[in-house]
Amino acid sequence: MKKVATIILNRNLPAVTERLHEHLTKYDGEQTDIYVVEAGSDIEKLSRYVTWHANSDEVLRNGLRYGRGMNFGLTQLLKEGKFDQYDAFFLLTNDTELKAGPTLAPLISILNDHPRVGILSPCSERWGERFLLKTENTKYFWFIHNNAYLLRREFIESICVKEQPDMMDFLFDGTNFRGYGSEHELIAKAYANDWAAAITSEVWASENESHLLDHADQIKTEGYEENLKLYVTEGRRWMRKKYGFNSHWSMQQYVKGFYDKFFEFHPEYSQFKI
Amino acid sequence: MIHQRLQSFLQKRHCTLLGVGPMSINCVDATIELANEHEVPILMIASRRQIDSEEFGGGYVNNWTTEDFARYVTDRDKKGKILLARDHGGPWQSTKEKDAQLGLRRAMDSAKSSYRADIAAGFQVLHIDPSVDIHGQPDVDEVLDRVFDLYEFCWTQAQQSKQEIIFEVGTEEQSGSTNSQEELDYTLNAIKKFCTQNKLPQPTFVVIQCGTRVMEMRNVGSFDSPVRVANEIPAEIQLPKMIEICNHHGIFMKEHNTDYLSDEGLQWHPRLGIHAANVAPEFGVAETKALVNVLESNGLSNHAERFLKISYDSNKWDKWMLENTRATDRDRSLIAGHYVFSMPEVKELKIEAGKELERKGIHLEEYLKQQVKQSILRYLRNFRLVRSS
Repeated sequence: MKKVATIILNRNLPAVTERLHEHLTKYDGEQTDIYVVEAGSDIEKLSRYVTWHANSDEVLRNGLRYGRGMNFGLTQLLKEGKFDQYDAFFLLTNDTELKAGPTLAPLISILNDHPRVGILSPCSERWGERFLLKTENTKYFWFIHNNAYLLRREFIESICVKEQPDMMDFLFDGTNFRGYGSEHELIAKAYANDWAAAITSEVWASENESHLLDHADQIKTEGYEENLKLYVTEGRRWMRKKYGFNSHWSMQQYVKGFYDKFFEFHPEYSQFKI
Repeated sequence: MIHQRLQSFLQKRHCTLLGVGPMSINCVDATIELANEHEVPILMIASRRQIDSEEFGGGYVNNWTTEDFARYVTDRDKKGKILLARDHGGPWQSTKEKDAQLGLRRAMDSAKSSYRADIAAGFQVLHIDPSVDIHGQPDVDEVLDRVFDLYEFCWTQAQQSKQEIIFEVGTEEQSGSTNSQEELDYTLNAIKKFCTQNKLPQPTFVVIQCGTRVMEMRNVGSFDSPVRVANEIPAEIQLPKMIEICNHHGIFMKEHNTDYLSDEGLQWHPRLGIHAANVAPEFGVAETKALVNVLESNGLSNHAERFLKISYDSNKWDKWMLENTRATDRDRSLIAGHYVFSMPEVKELKIEAGKELERKGIHLEEYLKQQVKQSILRYLRNFRLVRSS
């Protein structure tokens, strides 16, 4: 029985997805089952590793993006009765690039060593956070980009929507389509429920933005600049509607409050506080 | 007393103090007027390239020497609201020291000479920044040794001339000693120890890299960016940590390169606990844009063209360009405009244009000053120094 379910989100980039799938199979195949969500991909651009093809009219038109896409994959596992079989879920977009070598074994080992970590992310060589991971390779943060999250099942179970879960509502709030502020929300939910969010430099993952920059038409998304504008505008609207926050700084302070509280109640983890 | 005054003001107002670069006479006048009209302290932060002593041939701002500049400000600052501040003092911070390829000792002596003139002229805030070294990359301890040398020198000079001064340490440059949390903590501990041992006052401000960086006519740092800036710790992480360290050491945190941040970003400065922030080129660009606009919209396009060309030819825009810049020649001229305000041909051009504009009831210099005031007011309002009406 494999411990981890990896969900790869793809839209119309079969070669990129297949490369990632094959990388994981090669280096982490013993640790993980791999599921590919085709987020409204054209039928002729499905990856040969496709597991589920989300292909309603709306999804074909707009895709799923990160939040809805991961909700879709996770709820499919629920429906198929597989969710409970896994200890953790590795959520990846197709543009994730991993180093040659095992990624998941070191991550699982960290989850074992850090029983209150609910969210674990490999660091990226482009992230400044690596400067904070010199004395300790793993530290707890209040802000992590959702590049490659490994989520503990118990953490997901403690915060997920249990009533009629679907792509709009399970782990992420699907109403925030492009996801600006979603990481803040997930991490706030973690610390509010006594779970920590960690970054580790034991393994590395990066996001190859060139796919979005160079193949926006193929992915059927807006160009980079337009996408960024929409990402922020929609996210801010969502934040205001849901939390009454007019700035991401409010959201950040909200998360940081829970973060600080976590260490008050868990002084044993203070060495992992940044 | 200066330190206590600022501390009490910050505590009462829950604000962020503003440091304004003296980019031009109009900018200096605008700053003095705003500080006096609203009765708020404003730091006038002069770099050595902008203002320096006679020995260094003055600076590019109105060709003022330190003495002339200080006299000009103090004569007009009726309520004593302006704090004259040296920004990035230290060796090789003057173009002359760089061009002459001075060695360390001579560069340090030269920096001391510049500080001596600052103190004699009545500067109250001295930024000790020896992080620049044209001959190599000094490590944190070497930078600290230089800080101590200059710090003690300035304090002794000030004591001898019975002048009250406060200090700013640290730098936002990558070569600096306050970039990472460990470096900041180490630096502040070392300075605290040095000051205690030598019975010197602790520094008032420390410069912290807050995720701000000015290029062209925008802020390209992570502070206001919704996306990650490569190799930078996101401001969401960096800022609260650095503020925590500053508060622990009882030192005010100062942000440099605050120019062009959004209103929202600025409004968060007091809430985040940023004690002070410096803004400079934005005010120079605001005046340049106002000048070009007023000329072009009043049938003086010829004058505008001449000014833009002089500015472009100065090449002063070069250091502000992004690597893959898409800036037009006009953009480059707008970026460099304030560097050429004091050139005789620009002064002449403005006098000519001013006469034409007078006929239309526009007082050119007054108009430009008002535009700069608006630009500065954006910061005063967002920093809670002036209440929005």
